[in-house]
Amino acid sequence: MIHIRVIYRILSVLLAIEAGVLLLCSIIPLVTSEPDMFAFMASALITGCCAMLLSTFGKKGNRHDGISRRDGYVVVTLSWALFSFFGCLPFYISRFVPEFTNAFFETISGFTTTGASVISNVEILPHGLLFWRSLTQWFGGLGIVFFTVAVLPVFGIGDVRLFAAEAIGPTHGKLHPRISVSGRWILTVYAILTIACTIALKLVGMGFFDSINHALCTIATGGYSTRNASIGAFHSVAIENVITVFTFLSGINFSLLFFMLFKGRIGKMFYDTEFRSYFILTMSVAIIIAAVITASTGNGLWKSLHLSMFQVISLVTTTGFVTNDVYNWPAPVYMILSVMMCLGACAGSTTGGMKGARSIILFRALHNEFYRILHPNAVLPIRINHKVIPDSTRQTVFTFTICYVGLIATSWIIYMITGMNMSDAFYASTAIVSNTGTAVGSFDAANSFDTTLSWDVLSFAAKWYTCLLMLVCRLEIFAALLIFSPSFWKHL
Amino acid sequence: MRIIIAGAGDVGTHLAKMLSGENQDITLMDESQERLGSLDSNFDLLTLESSPTSIRDLREAEADKADLFVAVTPDESRNIVACQLAHSLGAQKTLARIDNYEFLMPKYREFFASIGVDSLIYPEMLAAKDIVDGMRQSWIRQWWEFADGALVMIGVKLRENAEILNVPLYTLGTDLSYHIVAIVRDDQTYIPGGSDIIEAGDLVYFMAKKKDIPLIRRIAGKQELPDIRDVIIMGGSRIAVRAAQLMSDSCNVKIIERDLARCHRLTEALSSRIMVINGDGRDPSLLVSEGIDHTEAFIALTDSSETNILACVAAKRFGVAKTIAEVENIDYITMAEKLDVGAVINKKKIAASHIYQMMLDADVSNVKCLTFASAEVAEFIVKHGARVTKGYVKDLNLPKGATIGGLIRDNEGLLVSGSTQIMEGDHVVVFCLDGMIRKLERYFN
Repeated sequence: MIHIRVIYRILSVLLAIEAGVLLLCSIIPLVTSEPDMFAFMASALITGCCAMLLSTFGKKGNRHDGISRRDGYVVVTLSWALFSFFGCLPFYISRFVPEFTNAFFETISGFTTTGASVISNVEILPHGLLFWRSLTQWFGGLGIVFFTVAVLPVFGIGDVRLFAAEAIGPTHGKLHPRISVSGRWILTVYAILTIACTIALKLVGMGFFDSINHALCTIATGGYSTRNASIGAFHSVAIENVITVFTFLSGINFSLLFFMLFKGRIGKMFYDTEFRSYFILTMSVAIIIAAVITASTGNGLWKSLHLSMFQVISLVTTTGFVTNDVYNWPAPVYMILSVMMCLGACAGSTTGGMKGARSIILFRALHNEFYRILHPNAVLPIRINHKVIPDSTRQTVFTFTICYVGLIATSWIIYMITGMNMSDAFYASTAIVSNTGTAVGSFDAANSFDTTLSWDVLSFAAKWYTCLLMLVCRLEIFAALLIFSPSFWKHL
Repeated sequence: MRIIIAGAGDVGTHLAKMLSGENQDITLMDESQERLGSLDSNFDLLTLESSPTSIRDLREAEADKADLFVAVTPDESRNIVACQLAHSLGAQKTLARIDNYEFLMPKYREFFASIGVDSLIYPEMLAAKDIVDGMRQSWIRQWWEFADGALVMIGVKLRENAEILNVPLYTLGTDLSYHIVAIVRDDQTYIPGGSDIIEAGDLVYFMAKKKDIPLIRRIAGKQELPDIRDVIIMGGSRIAVRAAQLMSDSCNVKIIERDLARCHRLTEALSSRIMVINGDGRDPSLLVSEGIDHTEAFIALTDSSETNILACVAAKRFGVAKTIAEVENIDYITMAEKLDVGAVINKKKIAASHIYQMMLDADVSNVKCLTFASAEVAEFIVKHGARVTKGYVKDLNLPKGATIGGLIRDNEGLLVSGSTQIMEGDHVVVFCLDGMIRKLERYFN
């Protein structure tokens, strides 16, 4: 049963919030006296009017009707699509991104924290637009609906269903019985990390505006930069190290960070299976790659370690910041990095990818299958944090993995049809499916010493396909694909 | 309030769902992930897959900060141990579900308090009490008491013979000794105004003082049932045993039970005045030979809700005046009420609402809510300078969908009419549609 009026009502609230944020962004051009003020004002006005229109449609909706599971999925998917649509207006109206397709691509890539940019020269953008671009990532980091519900618990009981529809990862632990309180705690951790990152970047010599923007994109693990050459533009080891530390932190389950920050329970962290494997995997891959690039490029060991650490963490957390050096690395490294991107960091963080918990379940199941050949009668449970994972979760993880690999394969083919060569298409599809947005070693590697990885080379059809793919993968495949399935719309 | 519920069985789950709608912080513990299911993605509560008798798990659930710890696993001794542990860890109040009549005796209350169990609840006992109460006042569907009985609210189903049908309510006069607070018609709840009328088949909620209940019975066109002398109970469950023991000595009680071994156990547990019959209660010839046609009450308490419902329908055909069916499947309850089943009892609901009531009594805030029939009853304590004290009730412009049922002043119940002046410190009982409570709060603070 779809409660259409309740959906209108919720969407109207969400859009009203977006309109408010757009209006706040118009303060920046006021200060810097740049030409994008009108664009922000107009976008805020359009968004606000649409919100008002929706709220009149939803007026008769009884808030106590409650939100069914279906409503939850519809609201979540629609809100991401609508946010991206209205969020692209400033780019489009200001004519800095004259094609609508590009503006929409840029925005949805921001909200989904993919960070794939079609703007070949971001440095000509005014400050307001740059900030809005970073802010989309920050909003999308924890999830648009999550963010709203945590700030304004306006939907009553329905909050829980909305959260469930947007939830990230195979298992989700709450911090507090009340979902809105849990949400607020998580949001606090998010805000603290962002502020800390801004201060740290400022201290190591980045400008104030750049610090804020990079902090927003780092903690959201998005990867937009205010410079064409991404982090590489700053030529600063200290900045790269700060970014490394904060991307690593953003890849940790935020509940664990909460326990560490507010309850001082650091032990809990190393007790957590997912965190341990995240830590060990990231470090060992970084060391291996450091060894490889020391051998192949002749860099010093410490320099290689620093570079590989930055790159591995940036990609495993699906952030997608790069340094120039990466283009000199041997080709197999790109492949390893692509696999790492797909595995992803911890569930309950801002990262994309498959998430550690799923990978662990998958690998343990694989291990069990081999073990079972030797001991046919053994009962082999899969444990995470000493708790046995129920069979249904295991099933879901298998299904998810098949969908995930299927999506990569399908996208690979589709990108090739739209005219890419085989390896470019592969790197592009892994970059989008994992929401990283950086196709390492891909089509733009040759000319990327002075530009960021530009997705502008994609054809018109490929761009729209990419938009859809980013959204589907950000909502962990099922939530978004569900509303395209016929059975979802049967028996309304 | 922070509440921990241990045991996600029927009672625990029902209670958790009920309380999570009331803005309480609910943590539900159970060892089985299956029983917890997807509760936490559908209701605003925290589920923990952990043992209520493990100290580490109780710490994890923050039992030390809990205001109330409710242990409702199926095992009584486990419940008591869990309560003791939670109490020692620092839980404010503990409540255990038990299966033992002896524990309930008042002389042991202090003893249980000293070992860390503040309250005990025995759902079968409560259900049995409900059955016996229902036999006494069989025309009342629902019964709520305020301020220890100073005011009562009763729900009555009105049939064609009621006196107040089909006339606008204002023609009934202004100085009535009852107040009609709500009407439930076709699953819709209305708060009636002066021009509304009552139709046959409506479930009407009256607010009145206890002594005026006979008057309501008269205007509702209900007959006082003849004294119940012969009772047939189908199914020899624990509720049946408790109910049979609670009934007065003047009743002839027959318990029909299919399982012979259980029959033997029943005879050991019950006194000799209660007859135990081995047979199937669904067999009409057996019922006739046991005198169903001159029986006044038929109570169906087997494990199967379907059997109970059908058996009661059949008993009504035999002319039994009062039938009570135990329906454990909550989804069947509204359906059973539409059939001519008579009263329906549900162990889970009784237990959960009893715990709920106990919780409310402990709550110090000034709003108390009881939720039923998609409406809420709230008891407000009027604060100094509140808006309701500024004039007569009729001049207050209360929002549509809310009505003041009555008030309690100095432990004396008063009904409210248009010309009543509400004063500071009064306990005002308000009846309103779902979700109006927040709007009403403004009037009382």
